[in-house]
Amino acid sequence: MTIGRRLLIMVLTVLMVLGFGVGWSRGQAVEDVRILMPAPFVDATASLVERFNVDHQDRIHLSITRGPLETESISDLAISSLLLGDPPFDSLLMDVTWLPKYAEAGWLEPLDRWFDSGDEDALIKGARLGNSYKDHLYRWPLVADVGMLYWRTDLMEEPPTTPDQLIEISERLQADGSAKYGFVWQGRQYEGLSCDFLEIISGYGGHWLNSVTGQPELDSAAANQAAQWMESLLAKGISPRAVTNFAESETLQAFKSGDAALMRNWPYAFAELQKDDSSVRGKVGITTMVAEPGQQPRATLGSWGLSLLKGSPHQDATVEAIRFLTSESAQRERFMERGYTPTQQSLFTDPALTTRSPVLPDIGKALDVAIERPPTPLYAQLSDVLQRRLSAVLTGEQPVQPAMDEAQASSEVILKSAGGSG
Amino acid sequence: MNVLLALPALLLIALVFGWPMARYTWLSFHADSVLTGLVPIPNGGANWVRLLSDARFWQDSLQTARFAVMSVSLELLLALAIALLLDQRWRGRGAVRALTLLPWALPTTMMALGWRWIFNTPYGPLEQLAAALGLPSLNLLADPNFAWMATVAADVWKTTPFITLILLAGLQTIPADLYEAFRLEGGKPWQSLRSITLPLLTPYILLSLLFRLAQAFGVFDLIQILTGGGPASSTESLALYAYLNAMRFLDFGYSATVMLGGFLMLTVIIVLAAIALRSIGVLRPVK
Repeated sequence: MTIGRRLLIMVLTVLMVLGFGVGWSRGQAVEDVRILMPAPFVDATASLVERFNVDHQDRIHLSITRGPLETESISDLAISSLLLGDPPFDSLLMDVTWLPKYAEAGWLEPLDRWFDSGDEDALIKGARLGNSYKDHLYRWPLVADVGMLYWRTDLMEEPPTTPDQLIEISERLQADGSAKYGFVWQGRQYEGLSCDFLEIISGYGGHWLNSVTGQPELDSAAANQAAQWMESLLAKGISPRAVTNFAESETLQAFKSGDAALMRNWPYAFAELQKDDSSVRGKVGITTMVAEPGQQPRATLGSWGLSLLKGSPHQDATVEAIRFLTSESAQRERFMERGYTPTQQSLFTDPALTTRSPVLPDIGKALDVAIERPPTPLYAQLSDVLQRRLSAVLTGEQPVQPAMDEAQASSEVILKSAGGSG
Repeated sequence: MNVLLALPALLLIALVFGWPMARYTWLSFHADSVLTGLVPIPNGGANWVRLLSDARFWQDSLQTARFAVMSVSLELLLALAIALLLDQRWRGRGAVRALTLLPWALPTTMMALGWRWIFNTPYGPLEQLAAALGLPSLNLLADPNFAWMATVAADVWKTTPFITLILLAGLQTIPADLYEAFRLEGGKPWQSLRSITLPLLTPYILLSLLFRLAQAFGVFDLIQILTGGGPASSTESLALYAYLNAMRFLDFGYSATVMLGGFLMLTVIIVLAAIALRSIGVLRPVK
């Protein structure tokens, strides 16, 4: 009896070990590729992933890990797993501002081996920015994103092109009661405030960080004018005081309900404004942010792209997946079904796409004048300093000039410490 | 023998508290950031020198203390009132007791998101109410002078039930005969509060104060969601600053220093408070 039982256990054990062995060797043949993305992107790529897996059945199995929705939360998740070493992902969908930091930390594998200048030339101008650090390519763009000025086509003939015009049009519309607020934007102390400021300082001909000297120029005349202008929007009542706690969603809410004549937001807002619950459906145009006469209007570059993580055992397979997910047909599909802005130059004039969304060429124009936030590993610190000082100006805690002088001094300290220990 | 029995507990404390603290201390004497390639390099006391002259650290310390003191005192007063009420016998008490606990059971992040919309200008209910009453716009979260009060209000709403629970447990340990005797001696109800309830409740009050102060001093999630530390950094807490340094700036050496600096300050405050309480006789020295 006992002997029989022992034998049975032994046989079962051997069978189990064999079974694992077979399963394992089959697992080796099919490479498992994992990509971490924020939740909305996971939904937008689900059908593509399914198709990829059917096409690559015997070689690659692609799975997407659903990360949190907010940029900062997904960055926390990614950084935590990267810090622990041996992350469970081969690729990461990255925001444009993370790249220098991640590259400097040694978490990314250069992509130069797999992509050449021909690939890059096919991208729209704005999508070529923000993918490289120190002459290496680390990221391939999945969706393009830029800051835009939304305007109400039923309230004005033409959108304002200069800061003065914006104030003038807003005051007129507010005076005759056709809009409660003139202009809504992102004034909360967070990354969006830095994005808005970059567009306005550029519109006054200034720089946040001079790309030639590598030095901040936040105490320049243009920087002071930009901050002064933003503050004047609140002082004149063109923007509600509440703007100092507005992020994208609050801004969208104000514009969507028909309370504001102008809004600064990203392209995603356009689709939101065409939904049934929108009071401004069919009455919205988009253009670039205002600039002083003679200055080039600029649009802050957002954009998400896929990177290859260092130490991934499936490098070629991962790049194959990246190529598939960023291919022209994938972009076409994501745009037609979800409204995600493509990155290929050719798609911006494609009739099928422009019929689907008449504002696509306008987004393309903004991408042509896209501007990057300072591409340094210390970007988060620089942006934090700027946000704090701008928030102090907008909430009346500090006058413009001392605030900008302080932002300049703090930025210099941050960059100097980098030079010293680099 | 006694030491031997305490050993498992001591080992556990060493593992979950001692080791991380030792590691923090070690990190605080190193430069460990994205600029060093995340490799710790000894830098003497440079992090600590930087901390002492870091205006933001001191500002955040004051703001954290303001948040902790204000919210915990309000919570204590409210909780005492609610606990006294819930200790009485009345119809429907069971249901109300369960209801009072509800805010405490809610995840902080969810309730913070809820409060963010409640305080929202111009679409939040609070703002609508002000408009209906003909008051000017409140702009709570957009004003550096008021935003911190909004964080206190949300915290009071959320954690009053916690203190209520502790105080209610304390109230139930007080024998009913004491009140009976006091009443027979001719004492008034409000006198019994001063002479019986409060003295006997003191250990519970101190316990909840200790729990809540330590917790409020480390406040993170509520503020991260409600205000993100703004406007103009007027609501930023020490934990938020340490988090920014670690997770946004990838500066782990300085983040550890900020954490430890806050911890040392809290320890000093608690020791001073204990000495003060002992000198006025509220706290009896341990034999």
